[in-house]
Amino acid sequence: MPSPSRLWGSASKRLPGGRIGFPTGGSTFLWLLNKEVRELITSRAWWVLLVAMGPLVGVSFLSAMRTYAEVSGLNGTSAGVGEALSPLIGVWAPTFSAAELAAVFLLPFVAIRVVAGDRQSGALKLEMQQGMPPFARMAAKAMVLMAGWLVAMLPPLSAVPLWKSYGGAVYPPELITLTAGHLLNGGLTIALAAAMAAITEHPSTAAILTLSMTVGTWILDFFGAIEGGWWERAAGYTPAAMVAEFQHGLVRLDTVLIAAALIGTGLALAAVWMGLGMAVSRRVYRSAVIGLIAAGAILASMHVQASWDTSEARGNSFPEADERALAKIRGPLQIEAHLAPEDPRRLELEHRALSKLRRAMPDVQVRYFSGTSIGLFEQTRAGYGEIWYELGGRKTMSRATTAEGVLEAIYSLAGVAPPPETDDDVFRGHPLAVPATGAGALFYGFWPGLFLAGAVLIRRRFR
Amino acid sequence: MLFEVSGLSKRFGRVAALADVSFQVRAGEVLGLIGPNGAGKSTLFECLAGVLPSDSGSVRAGGEAVSASERRALLFYVPDGIAPWPRQPVRWALDFTIGFLGGQGALRQELVERLDLGPLLNQAIGTLSKGQRKRVLLAIGLLTRQPALLIDEPLEGLDLRQARDVAATLRAHAARGRTLFLSIHQISDAARFCDRFVLLNSGRVRGEGTVAELAALAAAHHAAAPSGDLEEVFLALT
Repeated sequence: MPSPSRLWGSASKRLPGGRIGFPTGGSTFLWLLNKEVRELITSRAWWVLLVAMGPLVGVSFLSAMRTYAEVSGLNGTSAGVGEALSPLIGVWAPTFSAAELAAVFLLPFVAIRVVAGDRQSGALKLEMQQGMPPFARMAAKAMVLMAGWLVAMLPPLSAVPLWKSYGGAVYPPELITLTAGHLLNGGLTIALAAAMAAITEHPSTAAILTLSMTVGTWILDFFGAIEGGWWERAAGYTPAAMVAEFQHGLVRLDTVLIAAALIGTGLALAAVWMGLGMAVSRRVYRSAVIGLIAAGAILASMHVQASWDTSEARGNSFPEADERALAKIRGPLQIEAHLAPEDPRRLELEHRALSKLRRAMPDVQVRYFSGTSIGLFEQTRAGYGEIWYELGGRKTMSRATTAEGVLEAIYSLAGVAPPPETDDDVFRGHPLAVPATGAGALFYGFWPGLFLAGAVLIRRRFR
Repeated sequence: MLFEVSGLSKRFGRVAALADVSFQVRAGEVLGLIGPNGAGKSTLFECLAGVLPSDSGSVRAGGEAVSASERRALLFYVPDGIAPWPRQPVRWALDFTIGFLGGQGALRQELVERLDLGPLLNQAIGTLSKGQRKRVLLAIGLLTRQPALLIDEPLEGLDLRQARDVAATLRAHAARGRTLFLSIHQISDAARFCDRFVLLNSGRVRGEGTVAELAALAAAHHAAAPSGDLEEVFLALT
């Protein structure tokens, strides 16, 4: 009997190990990319996203500019100081928040359209006969969707030259961090939507599940704020919390690694569930394995402590002199704070002092104690509001929740002289009291007009 | 023999869509898969092509078992009723078939002419009529290189003239040595241009062979032998 390879002629070849496969090559992946790009640019959902971005950014930018100018002394108001006049906090964070909104409410539909479209149209049945691994096919979709998201970031990025034309100061590291944060957030949305689109039979079900997951992360944020503990820890890795860190110019490696793990998990699940030729039980098994690997990667990433403060104002760091002094203190520092999760003092302690302390002193253990969630009825309890510090067997107590108060307690406990105060480290801000001339035309006219024209031209081209 | 299917089964919950399906496909023949609606014809093709997992069964070629992933080099399946890449023009779909699915570029122009696709080349697939879409799908299938081509309802949606032209195109393609396995629910159409038949009903193979062989099989099962008409034979065996 003739061998299969002879019977199948030029269409087949034997691969290493005796496996028989259809010829593949780099050009097939380029063809796939070509197809995904065409699918994206003919997708109505993507053009709606692009057209909406201009006005969304315009509202945020104009509002931020008005507030910033007033804080800077426009129209006779008194000029503010420090962090209030940081362009990152005052202008870029609100301007780019339009991208956060778009990532939640518009981007999922683009991703679902691109991922579910193949199954809906039947194209998947033809494409999967090519034999390319489903992970490669999903990678092509993810690459194109990320490129599409990058195009959607053009309107907020166009605010940068506009701001510079007003005479505004730009600090590239913090802007790059902010942009990277929103790209990562876009990646999370794409991965989640892709997984939902692949797992469910219908795009509308995928959309409902994707939005439900997003709402779920908001509930997690809410629970974290009320319950504290592990809920609070988990809430620190939701997309909203992640974006908030980047908005402050903070890059935490654990956050980045966890986001990358979640993106990889979502895309891997999508690839598994796009494999129509695989039995459902096998897909469930593979999903469980992916889930376990993801859980392990996330738990391991939570122990990574490296972080970088890229903000010009050093808003996530103590003054450099204090950081040098803290670096000399040896031994684990244990802090017990008797404050309820929703007590404003706890929020101040965490955000103004302890988050900076963890970056300066890796060997810090913080534990919170409270009997209630809001702390309102605990005020009279003995010990409530106390913050205990323990270092090398010595203990001290303080009720101060400010950065200065916390540093003072630690220095006294460690027997270290506080570094002399200097004005060198103080961020003076970049006041700019000018109206946002031309911003309306750019965001309400140019960008929507450009994208509308693009949509019309593309539709004509592909009619 | 190009390949042999043995004991192929597929269940959807309690419904047995395919039950112990076995038959042979010979190299270079035009094999018709005939059966009423719901017989399991599309399910059989999808299981063979690996776009649907089967519960059991095997495909063997040249005495060797061929796994679902290896079958991609042996056969290509064109489903019925799909509108792939609906926003893309026909021209691009043919190029994509050549570039991505490894189609034969040399056949492109010939197929465009034979299937009268010239006027449609710049039209988006989603805007085509059912018959036009069917011709595009046939072109996609005929461009591919696999030795066996499985087409689900190749004549569905075509008018009389188009059906005749498509049949001639398929015949010409088969004459070059490619094996065609066609699922056809119109038995009169199948009788016109298939060499052999696999009769499927309720997920089971009721017979396999030429019209004469099937008529003999029917005669063996029934006291009154049916005529040599495929429709009569089909009714007798199902």
